Amino acid sequence: MMATGRAPASGDGSGVGPAPLRMAVPKGALFDDTVALLLAAGVPIGGLAEPGRQLIVRAPGIDYIIGKPTDIPAYVAYGAADVAIAGKDMLIESALDVVEMADLLYGACRFVVAERLDAGEAVADKYRHLGVIRVATKYPRITELHFAAKGVQIEIVKLHGNIELAPLIGLADQVVDITATGTTLKMNRLRIVEDVLPSTARFIANPVALRCEADRVTDLADRLSRAAKMMGEDTT
Amino acid sequence: MKPVTPRGFRDVLLTEAAERRAVVRGVGEVFEAWGYGFVETPVVEEYATLEAGAGGSLEGTAFRLFDVDGSLLALRPEMTVPIARVVASRLVGQPGPHRLCYVADVFREKESLRGEARQFAQAGVELVGASGPAADAEVVAVLVEALEAAGLPSFTVGIGTVAVLRALLAGSGLDEAWQAGVMRAAHERNLVETDRLAGDASLDPAVADALRAVPRLHGGAEAIERCRRYAAACGCAGAVDELAETWRLLEAAGVAERVRVDFGILRSFDYYTGMILEVYAPGLGLPLGGGGRYDGVLAAFGAPAPAAGFALSVERVQIALAEQGAAPRVRGLDAVVGGDDAAAVFAVARALRWSGRRVRLASLAGPSAIRAEADAAGAADAVLAIANREMASIGADGIPGAARPVPDAAAPAEAPTRTEGGERS
Repeated sequence: MMATGRAPASGDGSGVGPAPLRMAVPKGALFDDTVALLLAAGVPIGGLAEPGRQLIVRAPGIDYIIGKPTDIPAYVAYGAADVAIAGKDMLIESALDVVEMADLLYGACRFVVAERLDAGEAVADKYRHLGVIRVATKYPRITELHFAAKGVQIEIVKLHGNIELAPLIGLADQVVDITATGTTLKMNRLRIVEDVLPSTARFIANPVALRCEADRVTDLADRLSRAAKMMGEDTT
Repeated sequence: MKPVTPRGFRDVLLTEAAERRAVVRGVGEVFEAWGYGFVETPVVEEYATLEAGAGGSLEGTAFRLFDVDGSLLALRPEMTVPIARVVASRLVGQPGPHRLCYVADVFREKESLRGEARQFAQAGVELVGASGPAADAEVVAVLVEALEAAGLPSFTVGIGTVAVLRALLAGSGLDEAWQAGVMRAAHERNLVETDRLAGDASLDPAVADALRAVPRLHGGAEAIERCRRYAAACGCAGAVDELAETWRLLEAAGVAERVRVDFGILRSFDYYTGMILEVYAPGLGLPLGGGGRYDGVLAAFGAPAPAAGFALSVERVQIALAEQGAAPRVRGLDAVVGGDDAAAVFAVARALRWSGRRVRLASLAGPSAIRAEADAAGAADAVLAIANREMASIGADGIPGAARPVPDAAAPAEAPTRTEGGERS
């Protein structure tokens, strides 16, 4: 991969202290819990709780970059962000070189294989006759790794949304998708065949940021990790 | 058709190429100043050779191709294994240690084609046949001096060692699958997985503590001592000795302020056996280069010998130089020479080149056109060549000044760029 470098974090020359750490946070499902965790860990969040349409939020010592969950690993791997919070699923799917520092325990979800409620033996039967099943997913890498480990030959159809639709319209025999409660799958008359992997939010760091900003990055990892454990105990 | 470069490859043109030559020259002069000699190897190697030398890390990264007889070849993904092959085959029987260096293009295939680069320029050294802290410290010192010669103001070399992790695993008493898991987690930089594996109930608590703490240790001499305490609790304090001595030598060599110890460094090539190093520039998200000690590679080729080295990514060094406002100043054109008499133009240009100037022949003959061409090319001088071995400088107004004799071409005043094997820099 080609390093593109980044603009110096304090290019305006306003401060004499170290450049703020750049932390990417995912919008969407993980966002509220991420803000709560940062607060619980005593990390300054500035206006992050109500960012409006802002994508970069400055707080003392930290610049937050709000990104799409799938893009967060790339921000970190290329050094545009020093650290980030990202789902384990996104880390596996992106397969980029980042340091996984801490399991933050929240944002738990499962990757599952699902098929039509009325599929019965149809999928197994098709596999016997044709030797391949078609799987629709947003996560081709996770899907490929899972079925390869089982020795099952598949053809992957990469979709960008409404995965649960694929078996209903005959686009795929099975789907690999993410589920927290299984409600969406049930509503679309799909049933879970097996678990692929569990996922939780992780604190990740750029390998070079970890070396060059070791104290700040490890301190942040420790604080978030401790806060995550406390929050986990509160809810259980 | 409209031709394009193949995906993942690119052309290096003019300014970038000139700056690259300047960087490589500075780095190469340091290599040679330390007694390293340049070698060149084929871009293609037998796949089996690379596989024997590099092990599993080759999988998915080598750019493979078939020879006409069906045998599997690969473009070299790095230079360490090709140079180990050279030492084990071409230099066998010659007394070591061998100090070899290179500037070479290497090729990597990406599992998924995401438009990433597949060809990289690397500059590096290999010290084969010498072991111990003195050899390790030499490699680090060459690296520091090379980057200083390249003109990079700010960088840090991180050094660590695999010896501690290997000793902890060997003394853990747990099975190979678990040990391989820890090693894999360390290579993937997955501290969450390392911590999880350290939580194995049958593991000695001292080893578990060390596995959790050691990858997070960093700093100077004090980090080495902290690591020694963790290792001592597991009965393997000796695993830290070599790095401690290397550090002492780096302090003595006056390069320690550019170096920090970091026990979390593990490189993705898994052939390293002792010291590991990586180079970082602040603000650049990827290391400038890396290396370490790989005592097992030569044994794979039947000529066991200790070895260590590093490779710098020339592209990333150039990026770091640009980011730090220290891109090499590249010498431009000095003069454009033209005139009605083509023979006189050649003679004047030759004389000016012999006097050490960079001279281009003008496309048009008129004085104002020559001036315009010099201005466009950024050359200070526009020169009108006149028959009879005379020339005149053309002023900013496009009007030639007084004619004066051409410098004597038979006796070059200074031509230092021509003395080294005809290479003109």
